[in-house]
Amino acid sequence: MGSKDDVKAMDEELFTVIIGGQAGQGVKKAGEALSKFFLEKGRYVFEMDDYQSLIRGGHNFASVSSSTEEIFSHHMRADVVVNLDKTSYEMHKKNLTPDGLNFYNSDEIENGEGIGLPLTSMSKEFQRPQLIMGVTGIAVLAAVVGENKDSLVSLVNSVYPRGKEDNTAFSKLVYDEVLDKVGSTLDLKEGDCRNRMFPGNHVIALGAASAGLDIYFAYPMTPASSILHFYASHGDKLGVTAVHPESEIAVANMAIGATIAGARSMVGTSGGGFALMAEAFSLAGMVESPVLFVLSSRPGPATGVPTYTEQGDLGFALHQGHGDFPRIVASPGDMEEAFYLTADMLSLLWKYQTPGIILTEKHLSESSMCMDVDPSKVRTVEPRMHEEDTEYKRYLSTEDGVSPLKFPPSKEAIKWNGEEHDEYGITTSRSEEVAAMHDKRHKKEEVILEELKDRHTVNVYGSGENVIFTYGSTTLSVREALRCSGIEAKVVQPIYLRPLPTWELKKHVEGRSIVVEQSVAQQFSTLLEDKIGLEPTSVIKRYDGRPFDPMDLAGKIKEAIR
Amino acid sequence: MSGDLDTGAEITWCTGCGNFGILAAVKKAVKKLEENGISREDIVISTGIGCHGKIFDYLDLSGIYSLHGREVASAEGIKLGNPDLKIIAFGGDGDCYGEGLAHLLFAAKRNIDITVIVHNNGAYALTTGQASPTSPKGFKGPATPGGSVEPPIEPLGLLLSAGASFVSRGYAGKVKHLSDLIVQAVEHPGFAHIDVLQPSVVFTDYYEEYNELVDELEDTRSTKFEAMELAQESDRLPIGVFYREERPTYNEELLGERNPVKDRLSDEKRLKEIRAFLDV
Repeated sequence: MGSKDDVKAMDEELFTVIIGGQAGQGVKKAGEALSKFFLEKGRYVFEMDDYQSLIRGGHNFASVSSSTEEIFSHHMRADVVVNLDKTSYEMHKKNLTPDGLNFYNSDEIENGEGIGLPLTSMSKEFQRPQLIMGVTGIAVLAAVVGENKDSLVSLVNSVYPRGKEDNTAFSKLVYDEVLDKVGSTLDLKEGDCRNRMFPGNHVIALGAASAGLDIYFAYPMTPASSILHFYASHGDKLGVTAVHPESEIAVANMAIGATIAGARSMVGTSGGGFALMAEAFSLAGMVESPVLFVLSSRPGPATGVPTYTEQGDLGFALHQGHGDFPRIVASPGDMEEAFYLTADMLSLLWKYQTPGIILTEKHLSESSMCMDVDPSKVRTVEPRMHEEDTEYKRYLSTEDGVSPLKFPPSKEAIKWNGEEHDEYGITTSRSEEVAAMHDKRHKKEEVILEELKDRHTVNVYGSGENVIFTYGSTTLSVREALRCSGIEAKVVQPIYLRPLPTWELKKHVEGRSIVVEQSVAQQFSTLLEDKIGLEPTSVIKRYDGRPFDPMDLAGKIKEAIR
Repeated sequence: MSGDLDTGAEITWCTGCGNFGILAAVKKAVKKLEENGISREDIVISTGIGCHGKIFDYLDLSGIYSLHGREVASAEGIKLGNPDLKIIAFGGDGDCYGEGLAHLLFAAKRNIDITVIVHNNGAYALTTGQASPTSPKGFKGPATPGGSVEPPIEPLGLLLSAGASFVSRGYAGKVKHLSDLIVQAVEHPGFAHIDVLQPSVVFTDYYEEYNELVDELEDTRSTKFEAMELAQESDRLPIGVFYREERPTYNEELLGERNPVKDRLSDEKRLKEIRAFLDV
């Protein structure tokens, strides 16, 4: 990925800090602390954590960008870079803006470029030097922007409740050292943002909870695991039970079982786990069980690159499961959408009794940004229930293919059947019954399509004769690229991917079109070509596991529309 | 639900199949359970795929005809959704001891309060008689024309090791005995397993052998070790409850007093909690 330096960020208030170090040096926590520093200044923040699949060593970094305006992505050109170790220094000295300050550990690097801080020797007097390293990030930032020491101390206390004495003492040492060496040379304007920031996975979890989720089933798999952890910690309050069984196969089948008891169920995983759920996904289609599957993608195939981002599972999500049955696949383009869309999907699936997928990526799941949602705006739809005075048939033939639900205990047997069945749910292979049940399920496909036609299914941002098609978390990168570069273009992002809102998308097939996605095989572009006949002028793709750097992307967009 | 639990579906098991004995025992057990205060409306079943699975169509009880090997996972999901229900999972030996063995062992390990009945006929009957996990070494089938080279697994010892709190064996040829076992298993507070010796008249017609070797146990063994020894016996085939203990169930430990579908938060309370997360 070559960097394009010909596009400069036009947002003068944009301020980015990158902090890098080894796993175990508290880099993620340092990112959180930096975010909090910016939030307290009323600034909009986006934090991206880049980490490897290991517990100690290696190289981790956090990029935290902020501005007085709404911001949609982290940046990879930083005003301040803090390198806790040598690897970080080697990697990130190229990530500076022209006036940026590069801090490095002078005990590990002699005569480096930038400002050397003897971090190893300064931390030596503390009991556990590695554990307090991370606090260097906010100490440096506080010093270079002229924050007073008391504010720094109170921030350190709130972010590092454990071991706060050592963290506070070390942060003061670093602060003094930085003031001594460079002084307060950078300017940071306060903004009026009053929002909190959240990682995407927590937002997905809160969205589902607001739509009445009862049980969340999952087997740990990055980047979806933090949904499980969230419910395990906070489920009691939210009325959601977290269950971690022996495998993804158990997860999906248990979730279907729970719906039979009447419980709203969701599962979450990444590509490999979702592959194990394929048969159960198909079962959910056959028995008409409304399980919501969250698929948070990372680079594949197979185990791939576990802690990074990619959009290589689009085709997989669209075609999950054997046989013909309806499903809804949707992908949020930002945190706020992740909240409302997850809630909406849970309701939609219960309305139509079929499985569905929230497709997202590591970049949305595990990055954090400011957002403002109102849970009372969540629309919940009650499923169609059986009226007691009529005979019960689980698969009653109806005009729209949706049969009323009933849950045990029940005087009449409620038979959910994974084999082809008659209206009662008794197994059949009779030709007319087989065709009739296919027709019944297929009818739901048509009514879902009709429902979506009345809904907001495509986001359009900006205007201009150049049209950029994108989806999922890549939307964040594209919006930030345009925001910062001043390039005029219209961004078109389908929220629903199956059924694909072709009626809306076709309105934007005009002039020069660019597709931006994170798949080497350009799956999204291919989908648009198949479904709406789009012939993009160019496809910009990145598939090295990293999200786009907005300015880098802006350079590529500029080149594409030149 | 019909009084005799019939659905009216045509029964397609072979005449003389051990599955008829199991079906009769289940129906009898449900009646007994009702006398004991457990309503058939509260009983929910799941089945895997194979000859055993057809019992789904022949029992007028609520439930799910699940996937091959996944009936235990389905059953656990139903239980976690509404822990007041009584769940019976029906499996086959290929299905439950092969494809879905992990679910069985983990259900036993966590002691979730469900009953599993395995129709153990020692062959993949519905797919024309291939060797199953419990087929003896030398078993001839379309996939092992020269005889199976694998020894069988012994399921009860496996379940005891996994932590099953109720481990038993029944015989499809002794309906009354099997029916009593089913009643005890359903009433057992925790994971209950019944391995049922089920002759297939086409592939494993062991009626004569079973009639000779089956021996009704008088007592439950007091230690797992003794129960395991009992499970290894081959000169006779003990039937009855091998081992029983009471320990906290998974559903109680996980959910406490909460029933996910009955004790939902009010909309107001839920909104308040979500707002608390969003606003703090």
